[in-house]
Amino acid sequence: MKKSAIIGIIIIAVAIGVIISTYADSSTYASFAEAKETQTELHVVGQLEKNKAMIYNPQENANYFAFYMRDNKGTECKVVFNGTKPQDFEKSEQIVLTGKMQGDEFHASKILMKCPSKYNKDQVEVKANTAAQAKI
Amino acid sequence: MDVQFVGEHLLPGKLGQFFVILSFGSALLSTISYYFAAINDRPGNSWRNIGRAALWVNTLAVVGIGSCLFYIIYNHLFEYHYAWAHSSRSLPVYYIISSFWEGQEGSFWLWTFWQIVLANILVRVAKSWESPVLAIVMLSQTLIASMLIGVDILGTRVGSSPFILLRNALEAPIFSRPDYLSLIQDGNGLNPLLQNYWMVIHPPTLFLGFASMVVPFAYAIAGLWQKRYTEWVKQVMPWALFAVMVLGTGIIMGSFWAYEALNFGGFWAWDPVENASIIPWLTLIAAVHVLLAYKNSGHSYFTATFLVLISFVLVLYASFLTRSGILGETSVHAFTDLGMFWHLVIDILVFAVIAIGFLIARWKELPITKKDEETYSREFWLFIGALVLTVACVQIVATTSIPVFNAVFKTKVAPPTDVVQHYNKWQTPFAIIVALLSGLAQFLKYKDTNAKKFWQSLAVSFGIAVVITIILAYVAHIYSNPIFVALILAASFTVVSNGKIMLDALKGKWKLAGSAVAHIGFGLLLIGALIAAATNKVISVNKSGFIPVSGFEKENKPGDNLMLNLNEPVKIDRYTVTYIGDTTIGPNTFYKVNYKSFDKDGKVKEDFNLLPNAQQNPKMGLIASPDTKHYLLYDIYTHVSSVPIKTEEAEHEHEGHDDHDHADDGKYLEPITYQVSPGDTVRYKEGFLVIKSVNRNASISNIPLANGDIAVGLKIEVHQNGKTEEAEPVYLLKSGNKFDFGKTIDNLGVKLRFTNVLPDKNKLEVMLYRSKPAEKKWIVMKAIMFPYINLFWGGTIIMVIGFLLSIFRRNKELKQA
Repeated sequence: MKKSAIIGIIIIAVAIGVIISTYADSSTYASFAEAKETQTELHVVGQLEKNKAMIYNPQENANYFAFYMRDNKGTECKVVFNGTKPQDFEKSEQIVLTGKMQGDEFHASKILMKCPSKYNKDQVEVKANTAAQAKI
Repeated sequence: MDVQFVGEHLLPGKLGQFFVILSFGSALLSTISYYFAAINDRPGNSWRNIGRAALWVNTLAVVGIGSCLFYIIYNHLFEYHYAWAHSSRSLPVYYIISSFWEGQEGSFWLWTFWQIVLANILVRVAKSWESPVLAIVMLSQTLIASMLIGVDILGTRVGSSPFILLRNALEAPIFSRPDYLSLIQDGNGLNPLLQNYWMVIHPPTLFLGFASMVVPFAYAIAGLWQKRYTEWVKQVMPWALFAVMVLGTGIIMGSFWAYEALNFGGFWAWDPVENASIIPWLTLIAAVHVLLAYKNSGHSYFTATFLVLISFVLVLYASFLTRSGILGETSVHAFTDLGMFWHLVIDILVFAVIAIGFLIARWKELPITKKDEETYSREFWLFIGALVLTVACVQIVATTSIPVFNAVFKTKVAPPTDVVQHYNKWQTPFAIIVALLSGLAQFLKYKDTNAKKFWQSLAVSFGIAVVITIILAYVAHIYSNPIFVALILAASFTVVSNGKIMLDALKGKWKLAGSAVAHIGFGLLLIGALIAAATNKVISVNKSGFIPVSGFEKENKPGDNLMLNLNEPVKIDRYTVTYIGDTTIGPNTFYKVNYKSFDKDGKVKEDFNLLPNAQQNPKMGLIASPDTKHYLLYDIYTHVSSVPIKTEEAEHEHEGHDDHDHADDGKYLEPITYQVSPGDTVRYKEGFLVIKSVNRNASISNIPLANGDIAVGLKIEVHQNGKTEEAEPVYLLKSGNKFDFGKTIDNLGVKLRFTNVLPDKNKLEVMLYRSKPAEKKWIVMKAIMFPYINLFWGGTIIMVIGFLLSIFRRNKELKQA
């Protein structure tokens, strides 16, 4: 057998190994209840609980932001983030958290939010302009 | 019922749509004609001539589409969805150019434009390859043109036209009004992040890179198709190098834009959109190396062909990933789906089937050698290097494609929690091997090498590399991580051994310069990227003022973000930073942050201002862009992460209270009313008042006193913050009406009014106004120091120069042949 053919086979084997271990690195989407069971970091998807207060007070600590989130199964949980409050957080319609539970709090290392205003461009903003109407 | 709409300009859209259809039709005709020309042309090359004519018509059509679209955006014709969605009246001209390609349709147009430019060049230079190569190129042109059609065929919308009218694209009640256009004052505007000069040139460069990938693919297919198995390799070299150079430049420009304009704090984030562009680039680089191996030794034919073919298929896969909306929440800057999901899939399948079909059909005839490669030969190690690059790509493809696997297998796997760390962990070992090989291969000759000589020169270069590594590791503080040290060693080895070739080149072997320069650039790029990525540190950490967050003490360092009050210096790292004010220019607010550092004697060593800006965009929220101080050896990078939300307060101030002359009362807190007699002392929060005496002969300038008018002054001492001031507000009875003239003491922020005399109580009424405490201005910012990042940028520039030199060399070889 040719040397290059042997090496080719080895490389293919390595490639398959790489793909498999890539998936070993991958994470899972879970609920707060499931997050309580484990100490590994995972993703939780849910909505901001808008009736409860968000705590961000940069004068005291610029790196503490806390809020309540309801996951897709309906469980509510306090979330603590070691960073600044993302602007327009109130308007978010969906949040993806990365992190893990610490007691009764979910400590997020990353927050990804989806804002309707950012993506839904298909809302025509109509501004009545008297000058323009007067022309007609 | 037809509504007659007022004020619409329908001509540019209709003309544009005509050009869209014309470009699709002419590309299809050209494809078919070139196909027949390649199979068996009629006498007089009539098929080829039709193909050329259609190609020229296509050129005209593509330019026509671009002109119409530009006219629409430039003239703010918001009756068109594209102009409305991507531009606004306030955009300066150069950003109108960026809004041109902000949308999918515009970027598809850019692709067709470059592709037809390349096709025109091929008509001139391809000679005997013209028909088969252009058949493939024009097929690609046809498929991309079909993405812009936007016509319903059998109930399905095919493609998305940039000329669709707003009232057809959206449904809203206002579109039933004939004068709806007068209600639409402005477009949605360009995403502020794209309002950056890099966004004017990065997309055209990137798309020229993508478009030029079709040429090597077309040559590879033409070689199989026409059974000219070995000839195409020489033809393809300059084109493959060109594609690699341009795509590489485009990717780096994107990286520089991210570093200069985005606030994720780095130059590469392993975002799926970035990955999608680098994957085909890496495979084509691998292809270039095995093409060389084949050209010089006859080995690796299949690998070379396969890599050229797969590179273009991966370009199409990249456009599928970024445009189909499949990446969803895993990417921050992918497009949303325009209903072209399957259209994009078909595009990939067409070219994948062509590639696989030809490979299978010609399999038995392929010039694959049965001979074994020598271990001491360059071709063998080029082959190994190409395979390692390919495996590196497999890893990037695998992780990037997680959402695709989820869609296909209906699974719900989430991407790794720390994506950057995940990729770095995998790609660093690959980079080490590739860097070692690109140094090693320079000491090997094609076919066979004298082993003893090889080891000797290898040992010398390796020795020098070890010395450099020790110095670098010490200077840049990376000695604690063996993997990092290994990468620095491998990269230095590449720089040294290619530097040796470079020296030879300077002595007259100019031919070798291109490859040497490109590899030196590659080595420097790796060193710069590693040091900058591994040792960048967040310096906006003020440990003294750190308040531990309950639950975070154990695992977390003090947070990365720093609160700065206006004019209150804070010490971070070796700098004293002060937020000294802000200016608002247009939609952007620039926050001026002063950095100072002092030497041992307290003298100012460094003193500079950075102006990170933030745009409080009503549609997109707060969008922050960093500002960076560039030094030769490091950068100080700063962006704001939170700022007070601007409200309309400024306007309220002017409204104030309307009662007589106290229009400035808005500046003050609710006044306090005292009833006092001379000699009294009254306290308030910040100080106290001593009522001294009544002045019965007070006069008021400009107001003459008539008989019966009474003007009374009240002398008051104001004690506040250790300061004492005197004031005498005046009470006036004129013609039976009460007036009073307050006194303001500016340096204490206090105003006093003598408002009434209460004879029955024998008291005087005094009102005290205190200014509102000045609203403290603040910002929360993050600062990162990037050491040696200039090695990264410099390396990329050197690498591109190397590609350019190689193109000249291969092009010259082609002409000599």
